[in-house]
Amino acid sequence: MPPLTYDAIVVGSGISGGWAAKELTEHGLRTIVLEAGRPIDPAVDYVEHVPPYDKRYRGMGDRKRLERYQPIQRQCGACNEYAGKFFVNDLDNPYSYPADKPFSWIRGRQVGGRSIMWGRCVYRWSDLDFEANAKEGFGVDWPLRYKDMAPWWSYVEKFVGIQGRREGLAHLPDGEFMKPWPLNAAEQKGRDILLTKFGGERLITNARLAVLTEDHLGRQKCHLCGTCHRGCVTLSYFSSINATLPAAKKTGNLTLRPFSVVHSVIYDPRTKKATGVRVVDGNTREMFDVNAKVIFLCASALESTRILLNSATAEFPTGLGNSSGELGHNLMDHIMDGGATGTLPWAKDRKEVGRRPDAIYVPRFRNVKTKHPEFLRGYGFEGRAERPGWQRGSEMPGFGAAFKKSLIGDLGPWEMDFGGFGEMLPRHENYIEIDPNLVDAWGIPALRVHCAYSDNELKMQEDMVVTATEMLEAMGATNIRTYKENNPPGLVIHETGTARMGRDPKTSVLNSHNQMWDVSNVFMTDGACMTSTANQNPSITYMALTARAVSYAVGQMKKREL
Amino acid sequence: MRRREVVSFLGAALALPFLPRNAETAIKLGESLHHRLGDVPFRTLNREQQALVTTIAEMIIPETDTPGATSVKVPEFIDLILTEWASDDERATFLAGLADIDAHSAALGTPRFVDMLPAGRLELFTTLDVKRTDKTGAGHAVVRLKALTVYGYFTSRVVQQDILKTRMFFNGYDGNVPFTPAV
Repeated sequence: MPPLTYDAIVVGSGISGGWAAKELTEHGLRTIVLEAGRPIDPAVDYVEHVPPYDKRYRGMGDRKRLERYQPIQRQCGACNEYAGKFFVNDLDNPYSYPADKPFSWIRGRQVGGRSIMWGRCVYRWSDLDFEANAKEGFGVDWPLRYKDMAPWWSYVEKFVGIQGRREGLAHLPDGEFMKPWPLNAAEQKGRDILLTKFGGERLITNARLAVLTEDHLGRQKCHLCGTCHRGCVTLSYFSSINATLPAAKKTGNLTLRPFSVVHSVIYDPRTKKATGVRVVDGNTREMFDVNAKVIFLCASALESTRILLNSATAEFPTGLGNSSGELGHNLMDHIMDGGATGTLPWAKDRKEVGRRPDAIYVPRFRNVKTKHPEFLRGYGFEGRAERPGWQRGSEMPGFGAAFKKSLIGDLGPWEMDFGGFGEMLPRHENYIEIDPNLVDAWGIPALRVHCAYSDNELKMQEDMVVTATEMLEAMGATNIRTYKENNPPGLVIHETGTARMGRDPKTSVLNSHNQMWDVSNVFMTDGACMTSTANQNPSITYMALTARAVSYAVGQMKKREL
Repeated sequence: MRRREVVSFLGAALALPFLPRNAETAIKLGESLHHRLGDVPFRTLNREQQALVTTIAEMIIPETDTPGATSVKVPEFIDLILTEWASDDERATFLAGLADIDAHSAALGTPRFVDMLPAGRLELFTTLDVKRTDKTGAGHAVVRLKALTVYGYFTSRVVQQDILKTRMFFNGYDGNVPFTPAV
């Protein structure tokens, strides 16, 4: 097959790839999006309204199939009987890790990528986050500060459509918000109590979500069915399928090619630029090239870096653009599953109508104004208060007519949960490399992942349990159940790093515009670029970085400097 | 009956005098055969175990002014989970637990739980219902039966549609709606 030629190539069609496609095409560039997986037809694939009785196992999942084909993916609760099809087949997509360092790599390979089943929580960073590496001596300094990012967060937030409550917190800046859903009666009372007992330091606020509370740019407001990860026929939550890819298509400049597994970037040592990418057709296994002036790698943190590691040349024997020696290194995730659940004594005469996909957030309060003696950085809590209804029945004593009547006619007490999400420090020794003995179903060398949490993260997780318990006790909760899971990294599905941005080409892979120091027409704007993780959910930052990088790249192309 | 179940059912019936030419014919044939033979979708539970599971499921969620566990086919759901979903070890532990329920009954003078007088059943099941931490035996089986009965009942079509009146569309969220328990 002769090479295909475009102005721009975008590898991947998820959160970052969708934004790259939208921005590049709207700037007039003929752009091809190469997606490794299959196309998605919302009319067929979205299953958010399918009731449990229409599923063979009532939503419990086809366990034996999951165990056989998705033993890693099934660790994520969303990989279930409904949405399991949005997660990869682990047999086709192998990777390895040392026996003592398990890593759970949760992936979606289809048009839309993981933007179909992402958590939709969107939080800005502050300079507390951007300056932490430099101040504390971990990793390298970010080449960005809040003032550089703020206009780009605003830009993407206005398109995405985000609900949130303005709180005026310096360390969790407000964004461009739609009116949020209100807190429920139990959460509101919890907010009032914490404001009093913790002097405003620990705050229950509304989760900031990329889910519409009003009609927005042709997408309908959310109808509160509560199962976003299965898709959304009203396009109410943001995904590349629901928003950015249609915008890109509207320009007439988009070519979207599913079943296109990118093997490597093709490098021309004479010009010191990439000429294009080498692609394996996902169906025929035929290999072909696509050429372009500029390439955006948006295949997800580990996949984009894998492509570069598989693109080694005589000039870059350890991976394309790896003159710093940092390509593949400084892998991070967040740490989660430290927290507590308790039974609240009040609001028994109140209930919810409508199912929110997410509810509350407690912004970081550790190492904000005072220094914690045992760990650096901090964590936030996601959570909610809800009444369990019939689902409490399996744990409830009793049986018979009264038992049944209680499950139908009562809802049980409000249960409040706080689950922490904490920052992971960037460490050189957490890295990925090509496994010389492993290839995927398309014959492409696969990754070996070396990653473990450090004491800093584990102490933070212990503190999550303590502070969650303190908050529940302050609320007068009873039956407080703490939890601290020993999850492998990766399972938070916020894997970041491996091609970090920085100020110095000797210690970083990308410059302040997500442009490779060594190969100037290649940009990486997915999680690979991250220099640290902060504790906030990362996707809105990838979106802003992508839009910012495209603006820069287009400017450079106009000046003929790319 | 689900299409896949019918075809599977037919696949097992190799003694049929003729084979249908296409799937639609197969399904119609399967359904008519199914009706002739009665409801026999159980593949793991034998007749005694079916009777025990049915009796206990109905004790947990009985027929009142609303349907009970049996009428929304909870025992069939439990059999499906045991057959297709549970691991071999889980299935074996559960079935051994069912046998242990009968052993408890036998120790009280009636060989099978289903043959006990209602008052005796009630007393024994009350005893077993609190053995929630048991990993094997009758207590374990009761925990699993209760979980599967509650789940199977409340996720059934009849209960979701007619009793819970589950909705998928709301015009907005309200988390402060007055509520009075109906118990």
